[in-house]
Amino acid sequence: MSLSVRQGELISIIGANGSGKSTLLLAISGLLTTWEGEIIFKEQTLKGMSPPAVVRQGISMVPEGRQIFSPLTVMDNLKMGAYTMYRKGLKREVEQDFEMIMDMFPILRERANQLAGTLSGGEQQMLAIGRALMSRPRLLILDEPSMGLAPKIVEMIFDTIQNLRREGVTILLVEQNARAALKISDRGYVLETGKMVLEGSAKELLVDDDVKRAYLGKDYGNFYDGRD
Amino acid sequence: MQPLNLTIEEKNQLKLERLQTTLNRAYKNVPFHRNRFIERSLLPENILSLQDIEKLPFMDRSHLGIHYPYGLFSVPLRDIVRIHTASGTGTNPSISGYTKADLMIWQKMVSRSLEASGVTSMDILQINLPPGLANWGRDYKDGAENIGASVIPNSPLSLAKTLMVLRDYKTTTLVTTLAFAEQLMEYMFESERNPNEFNLKRIVLVGEPVGREQIQNLEEHLHVDVWLNYGLSEIPGPAIAFECLHHFGMHINDDHILAEIIDPITREAVLSGQSGELVLTTLSARAFPLIRFRTGDMAKFINQPCQCGSALTVMEWLKERADSMMIISGVKISPEQIKIYLNHALGVNEPKYFLEKIRHGGTEILSIALVIDDSLFSDEIKNLEMLMINTSEKLEELVGVPVKITLTEKR
Repeated sequence: MSLSVRQGELISIIGANGSGKSTLLLAISGLLTTWEGEIIFKEQTLKGMSPPAVVRQGISMVPEGRQIFSPLTVMDNLKMGAYTMYRKGLKREVEQDFEMIMDMFPILRERANQLAGTLSGGEQQMLAIGRALMSRPRLLILDEPSMGLAPKIVEMIFDTIQNLRREGVTILLVEQNARAALKISDRGYVLETGKMVLEGSAKELLVDDDVKRAYLGKDYGNFYDGRD
Repeated sequence: MQPLNLTIEEKNQLKLERLQTTLNRAYKNVPFHRNRFIERSLLPENILSLQDIEKLPFMDRSHLGIHYPYGLFSVPLRDIVRIHTASGTGTNPSISGYTKADLMIWQKMVSRSLEASGVTSMDILQINLPPGLANWGRDYKDGAENIGASVIPNSPLSLAKTLMVLRDYKTTTLVTTLAFAEQLMEYMFESERNPNEFNLKRIVLVGEPVGREQIQNLEEHLHVDVWLNYGLSEIPGPAIAFECLHHFGMHINDDHILAEIIDPITREAVLSGQSGELVLTTLSARAFPLIRFRTGDMAKFINQPCQCGSALTVMEWLKERADSMMIISGVKISPEQIKIYLNHALGVNEPKYFLEKIRHGGTEILSIALVIDDSLFSDEIKNLEMLMINTSEKLEELVGVPVKITLTEKR
């Protein structure tokens, strides 16, 4: 499979369970070590890089299921995200980033000293995004950020993603909620059993009947009835 | 619409991604394509670079006829929102289909090419194309409306009426064929109409390669700028390639169409910059993918970049052809198809005839001089005349240009 994300783009990969989305992300993030081909980031190959090395390159991931550190406070979770910044001695920048993220998600400021495990699903997702942003990534990868969240919260999370993109963050979004993802994306790819079967502007994919049948069907509104 | 803000490397990456998705879908959904992969022990995943496309076999117009009507479609019919017919080269016409997303993409391509010739929402665009290019008429209408121009759609009008519309409706842009543009120019001068009475600023010529002299002739007499567009009738490609304001060759919409140039005899790629047959692969088409389609058109790539800064590949469209097709009023006519039809219509095995493009009253006509011999001869002249009239009418419907059949003695 081939795909590309240009600087400043928000790209969606949509695909059903087992299509290979997660495998792809594992390969990019360095968690999967055996794969063939090339993954190039800023003209540098990621082949053989460990996950921390990939993060140092500027790739930050919000993993599926959030994976926050439940026994730690909200603040400590964010600090964990700033690990590479601390290593570079950029303490002042980290302080600024705390402020930026608290402004972005005021609820995290309220709960700064609360244990992360006590947050609601939506709050945990915000925390996971905030934590990923603490490393000032050049590419932010989000794996199923809408999973298990109520529609209202999903909407909020996607608004946040859209705002990040407007601020110039390059984003790769992997989602089963194709409609919500495409609506905020520049382009999208459709992955089917390990193969890319479609590439196109979000607008083109949203009217594609294949995409509608497979990903925008019953679960996501009334496309079939033409009542969108 | 959006100009192509890509570097050449980014464009090539995009082309590869789209090529791979096209091949994956064709392999999955179209038995014809799947079998051609299997015959060569290939899988779509073996295509790892744009260069790798050379591993795949060519398609030509005969495949479209054999798989008439829907055999090459890559989506279920319920997804198709438009069906086009081109005359084809054999007994069957060639049918192409489009999904909603396809129409959006083609519309974008037509808009892009019109905008490159300076068309804006302030323009009034008139379309005048022969029945054989009616599909393109619809595409130009859609593409121009998308820009916001006012469109006077293609409709069969007399020359006098066309000229009246052109003047009274203050048309600024005319999309037509060389034959019609020349006919109009001659008629204007004959009927003492000064070009200054008109608002016409530009003519977009479609259907055939046009020489510099013919373009200059039109530009000088009609006070217009002339732009060339390249297209195929098999896919709605009136705007597969277009000229920009610099008139520096034709820019191929190669973010959606992959172009190759091959030696028509050896079928090998020619060196870049050498002339050969243009071979096209659709990169975005959902409903009707073409993979390495031999166009019969001759072209060569221009290796220098255009001043407009576009990353699109530039080509020169050459007058000669790699096949035996005749171009009449911008419409491609297959002599093989005429032969099949005449055999059938006249009920004679191998009738002798001569095909010729002629101009009659400014119109380009396919002239068929049929040699009378014993098998055709009838003592009732009336019968023979009726046969000629019927045959020419049916042929006109088939090929989409005027047909005139005359009888001649053995040459």
